[in-house]
Amino acid sequence: MKAKNKTRIVRGLAFIILLAGAFTMVIPFVWMLSTSLKEAKYVYQIPPQWIPDPVDWENYIELWGNSRLLSGLKNSTIVSACVVLIGTFSSTLSAFAFAKLEVPFKKGLFLCVLSSMMIPFVVLLVPQYIIYTKIKWINTLLPLIVPGALGNVSMMFFLRQYMTGLPTELLEAAKIDGCGYFKIYYRIFMPLSKPAIVSNIIMIFMATWNDYFGPMIFINDERKQTIQVVIAMLNSYHETQTDIPLVMAAALIAILPVLTVFIICQKYFTESFAITGLKG
Amino acid sequence: MFKRNMKYKERMAGLLFVMPSLLQFVFFFLLPLCLCIFASMTDWNVLVRDKSFIGIKNFIEIFQDSKFWIALRNTFYMLLPIPVYMTLGLLFAMACDKKIKGDKLFRVLYYLPYISSIVALVLLWKWLFNSEFGLVNQVLGFFGIGGPNWLNDPVWTKRMIVIMISWKMIGITAIYFLASLKNIPAPYYEAATIDGANSVQRFFKITLPLLTPIIFYLLTVNIIGSLQTFIEVDLFTKDGGRNYGVATIIYYIWQKAFNYSQMGYACAAAILFGVMILLLTLIQFKISNKWVYEGE
Repeated sequence: MKAKNKTRIVRGLAFIILLAGAFTMVIPFVWMLSTSLKEAKYVYQIPPQWIPDPVDWENYIELWGNSRLLSGLKNSTIVSACVVLIGTFSSTLSAFAFAKLEVPFKKGLFLCVLSSMMIPFVVLLVPQYIIYTKIKWINTLLPLIVPGALGNVSMMFFLRQYMTGLPTELLEAAKIDGCGYFKIYYRIFMPLSKPAIVSNIIMIFMATWNDYFGPMIFINDERKQTIQVVIAMLNSYHETQTDIPLVMAAALIAILPVLTVFIICQKYFTESFAITGLKG
Repeated sequence: MFKRNMKYKERMAGLLFVMPSLLQFVFFFLLPLCLCIFASMTDWNVLVRDKSFIGIKNFIEIFQDSKFWIALRNTFYMLLPIPVYMTLGLLFAMACDKKIKGDKLFRVLYYLPYISSIVALVLLWKWLFNSEFGLVNQVLGFFGIGGPNWLNDPVWTKRMIVIMISWKMIGITAIYFLASLKNIPAPYYEAATIDGANSVQRFFKITLPLLTPIIFYLLTVNIIGSLQTFIEVDLFTKDGGRNYGVATIIYYIWQKAFNYSQMGYACAAAILFGVMILLLTLIQFKISNKWVYEGE
């Protein structure tokens, strides 16, 4: 009886801690949504209004007509789609070869590729800029797309570990049946790695969509800019006019795609942490 | 003959399949890295046509630049959120591990800050911490505390960034901890309880030691990440804040390269910083075997 009471108290306490935490996590976003639905003149009310009265959709309508925001969304979509689709293909293909096939100088090559994770990005940033200037890639989406489309080292590493764990007999059996190597990858090993692939895709989509540093440095032309830079610029433009609701609405729009994908794939995402289990 | 042919085919297929990774390594890593080392020893400036070899002059100049030292100190200041969100993250993970109703919903809510873009968060933060009308200062005012001028005082801007990063990272840290907590076999606890260990003892003798691998992983990754803070500085301040009070090393390098066009100088600073991070990581790995549990 006593022990039962004790677990009840512990659970109650845990629930209160979680609730307080969730409250802290969510309140800023509620505030953001609430502000975005206000008319500018009501923003400075003290005490603040939590539920806007009247609800004002004007900011969203105005943003929908903003050509820069739309082109930002379009560019971000192009970049993210290329990086996610082609990059996943490249990463999983290399992962498969490193895990299961015989490759000349396999160990050395693998270590080389891995070593690139050890260097902070700032070391490569300036020389990359110099190279892109030379090959006329500045002000195009190419610096954002091409490196990502060639794969993501951490995804490659993660999937190589995962595929190494799959039985090699599958490869041998398929070879005896006269199956080509690409088909073995495409028909057998890729489908078997699906959970690991999906969770990695979410992370890569998130990182690509939310990237600010890359587009800010490699692109100057506003029409080529991605959504993150567009809303940052929108802010510096509107800050002087203090149209805070508009800025909040734009920020919310920038978050929405990742949030949607995340909620849809939530199951895989939590699973990925279970898979990694972080043995290292 | 047939077998040899098969082997050859496999090697060729393998080489072809790893080609994207190799291309990426050569063109987007090795080539820029070599260029960076070369440029660091020149007075490369985009605005000037000629560049000449100047040896280690850039490095000497960096060490004599007081802005570099201010930026270095600020960079280490950005490590402050790590103990905050690691502790709170562990607390939330342990609460979530108690089989609470609705823990799935809690998990989604905790992810929210982590998946949001830093730009959107900064915009939100600027509004929340607005010195006159922001929610934070209004709440502080309600308790009779005069809120500081978060956005214009470099000291408070730095503190605000610490709060923001802690807030952003708690959820994801909790998720990592939760996954590790679930891997701790229940019999360990049962045996300890039978031996008369109380909950505090169980935490320090079982939970914490078995969490050291994940703590080590998070520490390593997060220290590297935090030392590269940039976007917050760029978006919260103009020119790194008053007296360069908020600027970090990455900001310093970025400014040299893209505001002053001093590519050679920026490359030298980048290499210096890269080596520093590398050394720090190596030291962490070296001392890890003193405290990280490696299994039986």
